[in-house]
Amino acid sequence: MRRRQVLAALAGLALLPAAAPIPARRIVALDWGLAETLIAIGAPPVGVPETRTYADWVVSPALPPGTADVGLRVEPNLEILQQLAPDLILAIAEHETVRPLLERIAPVLSLPIYGPEGTPYTVAQAATRRLGAVTGRTAEAEALTLRAEETMASARARLTTSADARPVIVASFLDGRHVRIYARHGLFDAVLARIGLANAWQGPTNAWGFATVGLEALAEMPEARLVLLEPLPRETARTFRDSPLWNNLPMARDGRVLRLPPVLMFGTLPAAMRFCTLLTDALTGENGHG
Amino acid sequence: MSRARLHPAWGVAAMVAVAALLSVDALAARLPPELWLTALTAPDLADMRQLVARESFLPRLVVSILAGAALGLAGAVFQQVLRNPLASSTTLGVAAGARLALAVAGLWLPGVLTEGSEIVAFGGAAAALLLVLSIAWGRALSPLAVVIAGMAVSLAAGTAAAALVLFNEHYLTALFLWGGGSLSQQGWGTVWFLAPRLAAVALLVALMVRPLTLAGLDDGQARSLGLALGGARLVLLGLAVALAASVVSAVGVIGFVDLAAPTLAGLMGARTLRQRLLWAPLTGAALLWLTDQLLQRWAGPFGEMVPTGAVTALLGAPLLLVLLRRLAMTATPPRSAALPAARRSRRPWRSVGFFALLALVVIAATLVIGRGPDGIAVAGPDNLSALLPWRLPRIAAAFAAGAMLAAAGVLMQRLTGNPMASPEVLGISTGAALGLVLLLILVPAAGRSESLAAGAAGAFLALFAILSLARGSSFSPERVLIAGIALGAFFDALVVALMAAGDPRAQMLLAWLVGSTYRVGAGDALVTAGVAVALIALLPPMARWLDILPLGTATIRTLGLPLGASRLAVLLFSAVATATATLVVGPLSFVGLMAPHLARLAGLAQGLPQALGAALLGGTVMAMADWLGRLVSPTSAIPAGLMATLVGTPCLIWLLRRR
Repeated sequence: MRRRQVLAALAGLALLPAAAPIPARRIVALDWGLAETLIAIGAPPVGVPETRTYADWVVSPALPPGTADVGLRVEPNLEILQQLAPDLILAIAEHETVRPLLERIAPVLSLPIYGPEGTPYTVAQAATRRLGAVTGRTAEAEALTLRAEETMASARARLTTSADARPVIVASFLDGRHVRIYARHGLFDAVLARIGLANAWQGPTNAWGFATVGLEALAEMPEARLVLLEPLPRETARTFRDSPLWNNLPMARDGRVLRLPPVLMFGTLPAAMRFCTLLTDALTGENGHG
Repeated sequence: MSRARLHPAWGVAAMVAVAALLSVDALAARLPPELWLTALTAPDLADMRQLVARESFLPRLVVSILAGAALGLAGAVFQQVLRNPLASSTTLGVAAGARLALAVAGLWLPGVLTEGSEIVAFGGAAAALLLVLSIAWGRALSPLAVVIAGMAVSLAAGTAAAALVLFNEHYLTALFLWGGGSLSQQGWGTVWFLAPRLAAVALLVALMVRPLTLAGLDDGQARSLGLALGGARLVLLGLAVALAASVVSAVGVIGFVDLAAPTLAGLMGARTLRQRLLWAPLTGAALLWLTDQLLQRWAGPFGEMVPTGAVTALLGAPLLLVLLRRLAMTATPPRSAALPAARRSRRPWRSVGFFALLALVVIAATLVIGRGPDGIAVAGPDNLSALLPWRLPRIAAAFAAGAMLAAAGVLMQRLTGNPMASPEVLGISTGAALGLVLLLILVPAAGRSESLAAGAAGAFLALFAILSLARGSSFSPERVLIAGIALGAFFDALVVALMAAGDPRAQMLLAWLVGSTYRVGAGDALVTAGVAVALIALLPPMARWLDILPLGTATIRTLGLPLGASRLAVLLFSAVATATATLVVGPLSFVGLMAPHLARLAGLAQGLPQALGAALLGGTVMAMADWLGRLVSPTSAIPAGLMATLVGTPCLIWLLRRR
């Protein structure tokens, strides 16, 4: 594998047009996080997996109309990929097993954002610059990283002027009884750190930066503010209505539950900015109501 | 203590004592003992310790007891009505059917789930039971046939549920968590849901003790006592299914408690039906209470990521092995020595030739016709050269895999004399699956070659385990089947536990589990086809064994055939064929079960023509499944293994009901 990478790098240096042309014009992004970065730097991908669900879970930045659906994330449709004739395929670690197939279509660039050692925000910054170099849009990529930093900084400023900067829990409901809490190794955790909010969940998380727990775990952090990511499963309606535990949690009782529209939890800088802005707006708006 | 004084109360009391000690200790860690009474009578719910103790810890404890009791009762009724010591909602496919129905409803009728999940679960559970019974009907509901059919339906339902998750991962992330049966509670709602249902069913069963006793007799005896058994059996089965379904809809699938509880109660001395009906629920309650407390104590902060139901299944699957072995040794149902042949073809080789021709036509069609950007299109000579590198390896590998599974199926069925035998129940495919799962956990970015190696290693370890288990009995057919089934159940539990942790890598595992040929490259296709050709070439020298093995041990000895050696050879052949095929199409497809019957129905009664005909048919079916799967959806192929299962299950039922 290493030998192949070295050879590919050498081939890239020696015969630029034969390997990935720089700048790459027709890119297929097999990961939504990489796709949103491409859109944000003005080099939208020609193909993305599961475009219909992208609209529900990433929302913004929207895919340009006409973006091809290349099938499942883990098993992109190879015949469609070939017909798209991409000059570069962007992948993440999960695609290693299909790499030999993908390489028959176009050069593959793997930019994993999440991993056991990860600090996704910094990795995403590096990936943005890398994508800028590959697409010949280094200036736009640099601008995106700066814009992200500015978004974080201004959010931090807005929040320090508001009095209530209590710790938050960022979670999404899996069913009526279980939540995923996003914390260490996750993108949202990095955003919280940058905007000066403490993450109330200090428990262990997996390589993708979340922990799956029963709802009762929220009682361990009674003073925290709960940030819920939509969409909420239908069963939660019953939980909110009937569950004594939920209704006696201080965060629910005292109205310290925020609902945010969907944000890609496994995203890159655009997702970080979207989360930051939605959260800050909700927090300051809520404070405005008193 | 003398054997006569052995009483289930002792065992249950011991389990309850340990569970109670653990519970007291766990509660004390959450809430100081002086506040316990307050938390119950006049709780201050603003105190988080009291809130969690009262609305989460205690209801979870009570739910574990109620669910355990409900499952124990359901298991006891199932076992009595079906006269089958192996019956339970896990082994009958009832739990898996309920789970699949809930997944389907969650996806297409989400509104139903908010209030009506119980009805959906009951419908799925009842349908699964009917399916299992109709499959096993032809074998007079013999215990082993029912369980094999039940596990097959479980696996099929599990495959379908896995496919739903694969295609809708963002909508059904909870499915696997819940498929593992998490007992986590945030209120007493589940208690008030389960308690009246358990009480009502218990009362009704108590009122029906007489018909239930008679249901344990065989039909002739019962009828001579003047009991219309059909109706009573149906009502009792319905009650047990309803109870199991309400547990599934309340907390998810809690595997094997309903098998373990009546069995343990029996081992602890519950001999009569009345004793079993009383002690099975109590044993189940104590068992699940104890398991859940142990899990909460030692799983630590990850406790919720390992659902209790997955743990009970992991612990319970080996129990199935023990039980099945006992059953096989004590009460082997009489079975026909040879497979019932359909009308016997006078010119079997002509049929084999026809199947070969059919295979060629299908392969040609699958290569030429496919989905282009504008829908289904026939490839012309110009773009065929661009498409063949994608289509040929998949079709070749799918065909070779199907052929190998089918040949292995013929061998297994001839070896065991059991028409339900197939590589899918041999356990080899499960071993390969286990190897791949472990690789996925240990090596995050493993490539294709590592996957192949891990799968093969798992397959051969499973083979080794089965051979050593079976050695004592000269590879007795039942033991081989049994080991495979238990291994399959264990694997299912392990997968559920892994998926529940929410690891995104699980998606890749899912894709393979449901039999996708996606990752097959030219190299893999060559290897698979090569192994297939080599194995098929071995069939003619084995022709005599194939004809003699079904005749039974005594005949084989009389004919002077080396019994152990010939069985070992047949097993090895099946193992290699299954392992190779599994790496391509996943552990489940039913082609190995289906194709031998198709060949037999076509009149191929002798060993060699049946094996060759089945291989051709199996390959054709698998190639068609792979091709159809890619034609149906514009972007995402339905995996070949899943398509074959969808086609295979009804086909199988039809086949077996005809007999």
